[in-house]
Amino acid sequence: MVTKKIEFMQVQVPRASFAWKGFCNGMLVLLFVFLSILPASTAHSSALLADLENALMCTCDDKCGKVLGNCTCDSSDKIRMGFAAQLESGLTVQQIIKEQVAKYGETVLSSPTKTGFNITAWATPFVALVVGGLGIRKIVQTWAGKKQGVETSGDEKSAGEPTVPTKYSSKLQDELDKLDS
Amino acid sequence: MNEIGEFALMIALATSLYGCVTYVMAARGNRVDLYLSAEKIPFILAACVIVASAALLRGLLMDDFSLQYVWAYSNRDLDTFYKISSFWGGQKGSLLFWTLLLTCYTLVVHIQNRKRNAMVVPYAMVVLMTITTFFLVLLNFSTNPFEVIPVPPEDGRGLNPLLQNYWMVIHPPTLYLGYVGFTVPFAFAMAALICKNLDDSWIRLTRKWTLVSWFFLCMGNLFGAQWAYLELGWGGYWAWDPVENAAFMPLLVATAYLHSVMIQEKKDMMKVWNMSLVLLTFVMTIFGTFITRSGLIQSVHTFDEATLGYYFLAFLGVIIVICVGLILTRLPLLKSKNELDSFLSRESSFLFNNLLLLGIGFATFWGTIFPIISEAVRGVKITVGPPFYNQVNVPIGLALLALIGIGPIIAWRKATWSNLKKNFIKPVSAGLLAAGVLFPFLPLGNRSEIYSYITFVLCVFVMTTILIEFFKGTVARKNLHDEKLVEALGSLVWRSKSRYGGYIVHIGVVLIFAGIAGSQSYGAHTEKRMKIGESVVVKDFTFTYERLGFIEENATKTRAIAQVGVYKDGKRVWTGQPEKEFYKGQNQPVSEVDVLSTWQQDLYLILADFTEDEAATIKVYVNPMVSWIWMGGWVIAFGTMVSVWPDRLEKRRRLERMKIQSAVFSPAQE
Repeated sequence: MVTKKIEFMQVQVPRASFAWKGFCNGMLVLLFVFLSILPASTAHSSALLADLENALMCTCDDKCGKVLGNCTCDSSDKIRMGFAAQLESGLTVQQIIKEQVAKYGETVLSSPTKTGFNITAWATPFVALVVGGLGIRKIVQTWAGKKQGVETSGDEKSAGEPTVPTKYSSKLQDELDKLDS
Repeated sequence: MNEIGEFALMIALATSLYGCVTYVMAARGNRVDLYLSAEKIPFILAACVIVASAALLRGLLMDDFSLQYVWAYSNRDLDTFYKISSFWGGQKGSLLFWTLLLTCYTLVVHIQNRKRNAMVVPYAMVVLMTITTFFLVLLNFSTNPFEVIPVPPEDGRGLNPLLQNYWMVIHPPTLYLGYVGFTVPFAFAMAALICKNLDDSWIRLTRKWTLVSWFFLCMGNLFGAQWAYLELGWGGYWAWDPVENAAFMPLLVATAYLHSVMIQEKKDMMKVWNMSLVLLTFVMTIFGTFITRSGLIQSVHTFDEATLGYYFLAFLGVIIVICVGLILTRLPLLKSKNELDSFLSRESSFLFNNLLLLGIGFATFWGTIFPIISEAVRGVKITVGPPFYNQVNVPIGLALLALIGIGPIIAWRKATWSNLKKNFIKPVSAGLLAAGVLFPFLPLGNRSEIYSYITFVLCVFVMTTILIEFFKGTVARKNLHDEKLVEALGSLVWRSKSRYGGYIVHIGVVLIFAGIAGSQSYGAHTEKRMKIGESVVVKDFTFTYERLGFIEENATKTRAIAQVGVYKDGKRVWTGQPEKEFYKGQNQPVSEVDVLSTWQQDLYLILADFTEDEAATIKVYVNPMVSWIWMGGWVIAFGTMVSVWPDRLEKRRRLERMKIQSAVFSPAQE
């Protein structure tokens, strides 16, 4: 008599070493940091206007509510030409943005600044994601632990029953995997 | 006829109220006479709303400007095609259209379940009728589409020119079909909670409704993107506008539900979670409607008379309170075994898939409402635009893309390292190969380009996993049944439609990811004021401005058309004709772009401006791989069709499979 429970108990799952896990996690963190410190675009002269168009909202009278880069109203073309002229005159993107904020307020920016209360806008989604991830990890571990507990007690009960050698249970596991996939 | 329409709406309201009461009393008191009475209600309700809709449509088609709605959204010169679309072009008409769909869906639910599911269906009908009542109250007392102008004007104001595009005719109904469709799973989930029938029968009952609604919502979003691309004339297709977000959020939650529900079906787990997701999907559809109709958040999509915000906010509040209350009171009944064999299993990957989908959903929600929060906390209204969403959602989206590849090749219950190694070696190798091959060719100078590079590598990885799944299954079937390869592939998909349909949907998603990556990072555009005969070069193409013509199409519309010759390597490849349309009574002219779309790139021309000396400002975009996004949409459509295709043998096969599985997994007999 062979039971499935016993077979699964015997499949030894090699655990990745702590160092390897740490290395992987470290690399992931580094990748995210690297990606977030990279500039949104290169500072070629042609890209500067595009940067401005993405950073600022259209300030037309119609209050179209679009990012300047996406806006097609007549005023937006004039605004763009104005910015191009300012860039040619030697003003930097940051100076123009500062000037626009002074004129229209923070609402002219197409995204929240990364200062003060606005940090919550940027951080909250990632905090939620991390908390959710940790929560899932905990839940899955608990659920997996519960199952292990059940299997252990089942194993104790069936201690007298014959067991299957590991190589056969691995083979059976493979077959079951195939059946699954 | 208008009076008939108005009267029909009143009768519909009375009927739906009667329906709510009758169904509740019939279900609670188990009274056959009330059941028989309630039998007719969905028919009467649908008939009344169809009559009201026909009356409004008649008004639009017959240019009956005595109706305020017809005057506001139509005129005599409007094409018949667009007169029909005016039906949902304004707030009042769109609410009537919503109600029309809802009553028709209610009728279908009623017909489908006439002689079965007697326990759950009456409560589901109560929920459907209550929601219908809400919309009918709005239509009768707040936004009556049959409001009359005492002295009818000669002509109407006309439909917003931006809405005069064929995609805009298809996009709103498709989106509404999805939005309203989710009312059905919501109603059945609520019914299951109310009558404490909390096994997975409500899931099975609504599986196809969920899939079809998901499909419509997905296509609605894509059609909207296509409309924005062709009509708004800024060279892009998605602007993270609050209303776009409002349509995107329910899609994400519904996608999470479609995945996690598989765990409940297979392992009878996560009942609370699935219940919450299906309720949240509906809440998100109402939240989207609130955004569109409240005027609270500025958007290009909001209706002119965005005055219904408080009604929808109140409705939203009531729904949330009832849903949370019901779930909390039924928690003991929703308890499931909640056991997993291993952390490394497909179940876990589905949980992380849910986390990422909801993560994107939450980030989108947060960005949408943050201007309101900021105003409340600091007194400063700020803008949350595309740069925010791109920075927050793109990394999460990439992780999700990776999971699309990882999920299908991790075994259910428990994956061993050897199993993982075996399944992952080929897809990972393909991904690494792609990374190596693409590295010299793709620029990696900024964040967007790096993201795109990672996307392409992940796309190759995911496509390889899916193709291997198809290949393995086909070969196994070919060997087992001695079939030809194509025949084996066909029967493989046919015999496991939901699984392989799902894979096809994933292929569509991969195409969309690739299209977005290509178009966001490797495009080029320029804008140049040109005299006739002058040229501009963008990428490999030379665009020569050739002439400007005018057509007075009718009394209200004049078109200015520029002709642009496009050359590659000295050979003429296309003649583009971007337009600017001038509508009488409209301040802003409307740009009609001209696009040559190929699988490699779109050549996209906009006539931005022109002067009397026939000089014109032409904007030229070369957008790579945009067509992949639309192609992905059609692949998703095909995959969904495969998944939901009716099969009378399916039930028998499932029983057979279950028998086999139980034989395999139960203690083996000597």
